Amino acid sequence: MTVVDLDDLFAEEVIADPYGYFARLRERSPVHWNERFGLWIVSGHAEVVWLLRHHELFSSAVIRTTSGPPYPPVDPEDLPLFDEIRSFRADQLVEQDRPEHLRMRGLVHQYFTPQAIEGWRPFVRAAVADLLDDIQPRGSMDVMTDLAAALPVQIIGEMMGVPREDRGHLREMADQILYINRGEPYRLRPLVEGVRGILEYAEPLARERAERPGDDLISLLAQGERAGVFTHNQVLVNTGLLLFAGHETTMNLICNGLLAFMRHPEQWRRLRLDPAEAARLATEECLRFDPPVKSTQRVATQDVELGGRLIRAGDRIRWIIAAANRDPAVFPDPDRFDIGRQPNPHLSFGAGIHYCLGVALARLEGQEVFRALAERFEAFELTGARLKYQPSVQFRSLESLPVTWSA
Amino acid sequence: MDGRVRIRVDHGLCVGNAMCVALAPGAFAHNADRQSEPLDPYDEAVDTILDAAASCPTGAIRVEDAGTGEWLFPPRGS
Ligand code: HEM
Ligand code: SF4
Repeated sequence: MTVVDLDDLFAEEVIADPYGYFARLRERSPVHWNERFGLWIVSGHAEVVWLLRHHELFSSAVIRTTSGPPYPPVDPEDLPLFDEIRSFRADQLVEQDRPEHLRMRGLVHQYFTPQAIEGWRPFVRAAVADLLDDIQPRGSMDVMTDLAAALPVQIIGEMMGVPREDRGHLREMADQILYINRGEPYRLRPLVEGVRGILEYAEPLARERAERPGDDLISLLAQGERAGVFTHNQVLVNTGLLLFAGHETTMNLICNGLLAFMRHPEQWRRLRLDPAEAARLATEECLRFDPPVKSTQRVATQDVELGGRLIRAGDRIRWIIAAANRDPAVFPDPDRFDIGRQPNPHLSFGAGIHYCLGVALARLEGQEVFRALAERFEAFELTGARLKYQPSVQFRSLESLPVTWSA
Repeated sequence: MDGRVRIRVDHGLCVGNAMCVALAPGAFAHNADRQSEPLDPYDEAVDTILDAAASCPTGAIRVEDAGTGEWLFPPRGS
């Protein structure tokens, strides 16, 4: 296989097999200047960890500090919509630096602590069982739409205290926001619809909960406005963030993980021996082996040396989870899918101050899904043609995952 | 409990999230690798230290009673 343009991050081969491409890159230069896109690619585990722990050198305010048209290109008449998307993203927690970041995160973190989230396990288990009770008699499913995209909104919807009858609407908006990661030239339109939808939907809820707070997430954000930590717009925008930050990511964990099991049937049998016990480490290995988020970005705040290269103030940087998670300096036999792997210091949730806020919830959902699938199904088989991935550098998202099973 | 605790941070788990340092700066500080180190002696209320331990997203912090050795965090059985 030849990759014609070594720096073409969107080449078909790179989207289909990021691991081969980024492993070659990491071996040659773990900190690499990508000429074509004008950004640094950081692919070594040690280099990524160092970068993430030095938030004062590498800013998360990527949207506000960079310009340039959307890529892949969009329909020219839709370009004005791009600004709307940018301002939606710029106010999110994940785009803030200190000191704002700490104040915002300090408001919501206690909702997501490992112990607090553990209390949701029975709810998540029941939600998974409900979905599978529906699916099982059918004999086939698209794991993506029937299971993976259906679960996360149910859980976060409950946490937000959104009425049950609105969950369908919530799912629609979350699905529209998935276009943030698509390649279609018309993608800004459904995306903007989803963004406007969630802002409009959250508005009355935020007002109501500012007056009469409950123990839900929207109340927590609304109280933040009262305390002067959030602007009103930030309450709405971060409600949106909480809705979709766990949507595509958890979807990918479920689909990529199940695909890894289908390609490694001996590991599936191993999980089935004791699903309740094995699901915890297995979920970590799914996260490492085919991570839901392949990479995200930073901007250098000053000149800084990393991996022997001089990064200049203002330079953009992509750190590659999909490369760091396969670094042989940290993971013995890194290309092996081994559900008993321990320790497993993968970077699928990032590191440093922006380390995934929803990590405990993501783990819980992954564990409960893999456990329930292993308890109920002997084996899955792929149906349909070749699997395709969304043309995204950021997410590792299958378009669909159609499977059948024998009862 | 006489009020003194012993704190441990598992560096295999600590991702340098800095929540503990932010919540209980009298009991935790980052080292050169930006991982958390318990301060000894510390200057922080035990409740604040327990809050900080509970806030760690990876469960890297353990707290025990310095006198009796009893686990205070994480609670037994979890
Ligand atoms: C398997 C599922 C998930 C994966 C792989 C994942 C991955 C990540 C990663 C890599 C980051 C760091 C981004 C950066 O530093 O630039 C992050 C941040 C974040 N995640 Fe997740 N995530 C998942 C699920 C969730 C869920 C379920 C939620 C919420 C309900 C969530 C909420 C967030 C938030 C709010 C941030 C920003 C944190 C901050 O900036 O301080 N994530 N996630
Ligand atoms: S809160 Fe946990 S992960 Fe974060 S610095 Fe402290 S010990 Fe490390």
